Amino acid sequence: MSDSKDLLRAPFELAYNYKRSNGPVMSKFFEALGEQKILGTKSSTGKVFSPAAEFDPDTHESLNDMVEVGPGGSIESFSWIEAPQNHHLIKEPFAFALIKLDGADSSMLHMIADCNEADLSIGTRVTAAWSETTTKRITDIKFFILEK
Amino acid sequence: MIQAGVIGVGQTKYDAKRRDVSMAGLVREAIDNAMLAANLEWDAIDAVILGKAPDMFEGVIMPELYLADAIGAVGKPVLRVHTAGSVGGSTAVIAASHVCSGQFKTVLTVTFEKQSESNATWALSPRYPYSPHINAGAGGYFAPFIREYIRRYEAPEHIGWKVAAKDRQNALKNPLAHLHIPGIDEKMVSDTPMLWEPLRYLESCPSSDGACAMVITAQDQVGSRNVAWIKGMAVRSEGTLSAGRDEVNPQAGIDCAKDIYNQAGIQNPFNEIDCAEIYVPFSWYEPMWLENLGFCDLGEGWKLTDKDATSIDGELPFNMSGGVLSSNPIGASGMIRFGEAALQVMGLAEDHQVEDAKVAMGHAYGGAAQFFAMWIVSSSLD
Repeated sequence: MSDSKDLLRAPFELAYNYKRSNGPVMSKFFEALGEQKILGTKSSTGKVFSPAAEFDPDTHESLNDMVEVGPGGSIESFSWIEAPQNHHLIKEPFAFALIKLDGADSSMLHMIADCNEADLSIGTRVTAAWSETTTKRITDIKFFILEK
Repeated sequence: MIQAGVIGVGQTKYDAKRRDVSMAGLVREAIDNAMLAANLEWDAIDAVILGKAPDMFEGVIMPELYLADAIGAVGKPVLRVHTAGSVGGSTAVIAASHVCSGQFKTVLTVTFEKQSESNATWALSPRYPYSPHINAGAGGYFAPFIREYIRRYEAPEHIGWKVAAKDRQNALKNPLAHLHIPGIDEKMVSDTPMLWEPLRYLESCPSSDGACAMVITAQDQVGSRNVAWIKGMAVRSEGTLSAGRDEVNPQAGIDCAKDIYNQAGIQNPFNEIDCAEIYVPFSWYEPMWLENLGFCDLGEGWKLTDKDATSIDGELPFNMSGGVLSSNPIGASGMIRFGEAALQVMGLAEDHQVEDAKVAMGHAYGGAAQFFAMWIVSSSLD
């Protein structure tokens, strides 16, 4: 085997600025985030999805009945990040978590910060903390914090 | 073998930018139309087969997972098909194969592209290290093949303009078509700028958003529904740069066509096929495929085009819907050909219906003119 340092290597960087069209349902969800509200979609069976789902996975119906959920909810599961890396949005220890918001039947993947690992367990109550400026994106919810 | 038939074809309105819908909403628009046409409920669907062009086109990797809710695939077998531009055709063949296997009674198949969220030419032309950056896209890639066709058979330049004008005139009869160009004629085409010599701007397909879906079912599930029976179907591939390859008249295309004619019992395709939806993204591919698919001898394709044989009231109408030259949501473009062929034999093609169409052909090609998918559909099972 030859020393790999003798072999040519070159970077291959691939990037393109894709544009997304959110459509009528997801647009309402993101517009509401800009007003510090969290919406979900309600199906004919009464099930509420948040983040909003455009189509019901069980009944297959189109969903457009928007209902407000949260901002509080409970932890369904979580993963503690003790040493955040450069690509993480939060630089202090935090958790990625699945959070079932009050009024919703599905869970939202987001972050929980300003707490210790020992504070968290499945079922712990949390509530949304909002970013100072809104961009109508999921990061308008800065992260979730322990409910007081 | 179990006989399979198309009982529902659903399409979206094709447009440059369908900003009114998400990717999921676009796909669902076609599916809703197909399910309505098939008069079926979701419970009847046993599997979902999805096709689209490379994931890099929209930057959503494995979109069949993101789209699971929209395509009704949750808890059902789902398969993704991927054969470049021919994928819409291959997806239809694979969906029908599921039915013919006897393991699935009724299959939903859907294909799409949302080009407004992406850039196909960028996705096709990455700047690889140690390689010249061609940045050709599809038009630049096919232009040399077309030049060679013109050289071999001394075809006059107006043939390309003629196909481009004819397909866009047909598109005026199809409300779903992306391009509606009033007054389109050969002169208008010939006045447009040269893009990839010898191809002019209007000799090239547009870049479209859109989706196409079909419901395919087994003979014993059909009931009293209107059916397009699948009489022959096949896919073939060949290597991009394989030795001795003829890019103008690819062997894989010849073999694929022979296979479906044999399956359908067709001896003379020109006489026995009533109309065809053939993948013509650049004008000159009409005469090239007329020859490749055995509708005429080599060098005779452009003469058939020149004497209007492929016009909507000609001996062998090609691309009554307006074809890829009028709507090109890449991943769906092949399935639109297959679905439009089905609509013709079902008598549902409305203003672009060919009178008494009983046997129709759908065709798709992709990659470097190396992937082929074709089928023959008929109004009768016999």
